[in-house]
Amino acid sequence: MSRAPDRTDRRIALGLGLVTFVVLWATEKPVGFVRDESVYFAAAEQFARWWALLFHQPSVALSDRVITQAFDFNHEHPMLMKSAFGLSNALFAQTLHWVRPATGFRLPAFAVAASIPAILHLWGSTLWGRRAGLFAALSFFVVPRHFFHAHLACFDMPVAAMWFLVVYLFWRAEEDLRLAPWTGVAFGLALATKHNAFFLPVVLAPFGVIAAWRAAGPEARKLLLRMGQVALATGVYAALLLAVLGREGVVRSWALLSPQTFGVVALVTALSAIAWQIARTDRAAFLPLAPLVGMGLLGPTIFYVHWPWLWYHPVDRLAWYFDFHATHVHYAWTYFAQVLRAPPFPLAYVFVITALTLPVSLLVPMALGLARTWLRNLGDLFPALARRFGQGGSTEWLLGVNALFSILLISHPDVPHFGGVKHWLPSMPFVALLGAREVDRAMAALPRTLGIAERRVNALAVGLGALLLLPGLTATAHVHPYGTSAYGELAGGIPGAASLGLQRQYWSNNVTGVLPWINANAHPGERVWLHEVNGLSFRDYQRNGMLRADVVPAGGPEDADLAAVQYHQEFREQEVLVWQAFGTAVPLTGLYLDETPQVIVYRRPSRR
Amino acid sequence: MVGSALLRDRARIRAGLPAAVFALVAVAALGFQLHLPRTLPSDADYRAAAALLTAQQAPGDVVLLHPWWTERARLFLPASIPVVGYLGDTGDDLIAHPRIWVLANERLPFVPGADFRARFLPDRTPLGGSQELGPLTLTPYRNGRARTVRFSAVEALGQAEVSIEQAGSAAVPCPRAGDGFACRAGRAEPAWHEVLYQPVRCLFLLPPGGPARIAVRFPEVPAGTLLLEAGITWEHAWKRERSDVQLTVAGPAGNLHLRIPQGHEGFVSGDAPQPAPGPVTLTVQADDPHEREVCVRLRVLGDPP
Repeated sequence: MSRAPDRTDRRIALGLGLVTFVVLWATEKPVGFVRDESVYFAAAEQFARWWALLFHQPSVALSDRVITQAFDFNHEHPMLMKSAFGLSNALFAQTLHWVRPATGFRLPAFAVAASIPAILHLWGSTLWGRRAGLFAALSFFVVPRHFFHAHLACFDMPVAAMWFLVVYLFWRAEEDLRLAPWTGVAFGLALATKHNAFFLPVVLAPFGVIAAWRAAGPEARKLLLRMGQVALATGVYAALLLAVLGREGVVRSWALLSPQTFGVVALVTALSAIAWQIARTDRAAFLPLAPLVGMGLLGPTIFYVHWPWLWYHPVDRLAWYFDFHATHVHYAWTYFAQVLRAPPFPLAYVFVITALTLPVSLLVPMALGLARTWLRNLGDLFPALARRFGQGGSTEWLLGVNALFSILLISHPDVPHFGGVKHWLPSMPFVALLGAREVDRAMAALPRTLGIAERRVNALAVGLGALLLLPGLTATAHVHPYGTSAYGELAGGIPGAASLGLQRQYWSNNVTGVLPWINANAHPGERVWLHEVNGLSFRDYQRNGMLRADVVPAGGPEDADLAAVQYHQEFREQEVLVWQAFGTAVPLTGLYLDETPQVIVYRRPSRR
Repeated sequence: MVGSALLRDRARIRAGLPAAVFALVAVAALGFQLHLPRTLPSDADYRAAAALLTAQQAPGDVVLLHPWWTERARLFLPASIPVVGYLGDTGDDLIAHPRIWVLANERLPFVPGADFRARFLPDRTPLGGSQELGPLTLTPYRNGRARTVRFSAVEALGQAEVSIEQAGSAAVPCPRAGDGFACRAGRAEPAWHEVLYQPVRCLFLLPPGGPARIAVRFPEVPAGTLLLEAGITWEHAWKRERSDVQLTVAGPAGNLHLRIPQGHEGFVSGDAPQPAPGPVTLTVQADDPHEREVCVRLRVLGDPP
């Protein structure tokens, strides 16, 4: 079986991508600015100004001082998406005035997110046929939380898309050497999107190495063993450094000329040299290694080149970057009436929240698909399972590992658990793909079950597919644009989740539900406290015409006349402080989703 | 022949099972989505509940929401009746309230009925039937846990004196500031705060730190049972590596001690007899006052109303 999709499927994929882009754009306006997004807006604008400076005064723009000034803000995340947001805003909003500023920032996010259904179709149709590909593509964005995150000028959906692209290209490149450098480019773009991508080599290297081993002759196997020895030696060297210097010492003392840099350079050089030898001696063994080589050479290069902040201080700033994410703070999170504030977090958390937030009609095939894949994969190891479920093979292992990797990574009890489902989004396209296979299998069995002709099965398949997608579609439409509050039928919807004591919402965007009331009822120049909405978001709501320009942001209830409090279990004190400051516990209005309080508005009685 | 036909049928059914299961799940999901709006009360339902409460309210009444999070009711219910709705409220004794109106919506998904029966219902007796208002029910209960509140420190702070005390030194009086007192280090004021999700109007005390104590002296406290409840506010409570807080109530019959240990969330409580009217002094001390913001309810209880 060729891994390349045919022309029709490529056209369908393009169509799916375009439709997704248009739908995201068309439904973007009511989506509030999540806390981080306004920070990225500001960073993007700043970076766009640097690009303009680079064009007009390159020698000034390229100096260490100016680069530090321009890129120091929000250097917790790399630049690819923020640069795209900034350039898009500069072109479509500031120059052409085609769209409002927020849309200008968000357009690149829509484009990247739109690649997910396209790749889902390409991959699904190649593996199991067009029906499976289409269902996989359509199922991904009828999940309310996926649909919500696809609207944001943030990095969670983009990195899910990039991860998926890298793995897809890796899979294709194992058959077609021409795609190996493109895998490397995609990996570089993924690294430039968000730090999750640094785990991709961990996930993909075993596949490339095992496939190479299987294809290799005796000489290449010796070289592969040598690669293993180099990797092992590097591991021992790293462990020694850690033992001598400690984790903080390793980070603090990492300089351009340091044992740490030597270790990295030695590893890359040795592995590249051995890979080159394999390429010269055994083409068949090199083919599955080639995408890894592409990743190893192009990924870090693109990552470094794309981020000017690293140019003059690559080592210490990179060390800071890794350290920041390795020691990220834990935000409070409500889970079955417990406010989780610090590790260890419940092991089942990610699985449970995934089950409770997916539409159940998609959850069932996805769970079955995941289970079948792993039973088949284990069938490669245990003949008894193979007799019952068949064997997996390398592709199924690749899908199964990627479907679980991010989920298991975030499941670790010491990893931060805030952020709803967004931190394990890179798993979800793979889960959708495996779910689509189950649906396709069920559809394929219909003629035999119902005793109808094969040619009539298409109508039935469309009917079954539509039936399975419909609950997700209606739930997505119902909850939009408040996607962080969405829960599936298994949780009893939004009110069921409230009774179960689950996180009501996060990231502050639901405030858009009360902005029309504030616009209609605020006194001129009134001081308004939008709880959880940071100053940049307040400014962006005004800049985008969603909040009246004359109202003034207040720092808290004590200096506010109007207060919009977001319901978070961990922030109950904030609402109570409004009662204290305003002398009343009676709200005037609010955003209540299916009865659940989300944003509650109070006014100081003296101003009524 | 029959056997092979059966086998064929079984195989057909088995092959069709996934599609049937998927379809059933999808239909059930759509059914749930169609049903859910019927479980949600309208504004008119709430207004009807508010009208009933306005017509029948008596001093000391309170409204308890069930499930606890259905606080949209606050938009409609009369401001003259306190409304209680917080995570864990079924365990609230609501001591000051002889009658509790339970505004319930048991048609919602996963309503914690078992918790309500186990924690709320004991010592509570329905007073007549429930009124149905759309999906809402409004039921009055006699509160068997209610007691006459003869004294409440938060209400009596205006008559109190506040000072900073330390062994071997003279007490330093704290001047009044608004409704409360502002000390050089430390503060006492009546305020709304949250203690383990429960909104409470309490005596808010900031201890000065070290061996010094903030002391609140009430000159005339009636006889009865002294009930002392104290908790650390908001997110400061769960943090470990903070100081314990020591509380003492000194009255005519002796001392009542309580300790809020580090990391403790919610109230700690204790009671003692107050056999005769007289002055009572509440002191609060924490070695390190950082994030030791204490919400205190000190009341003297009498007989059930």
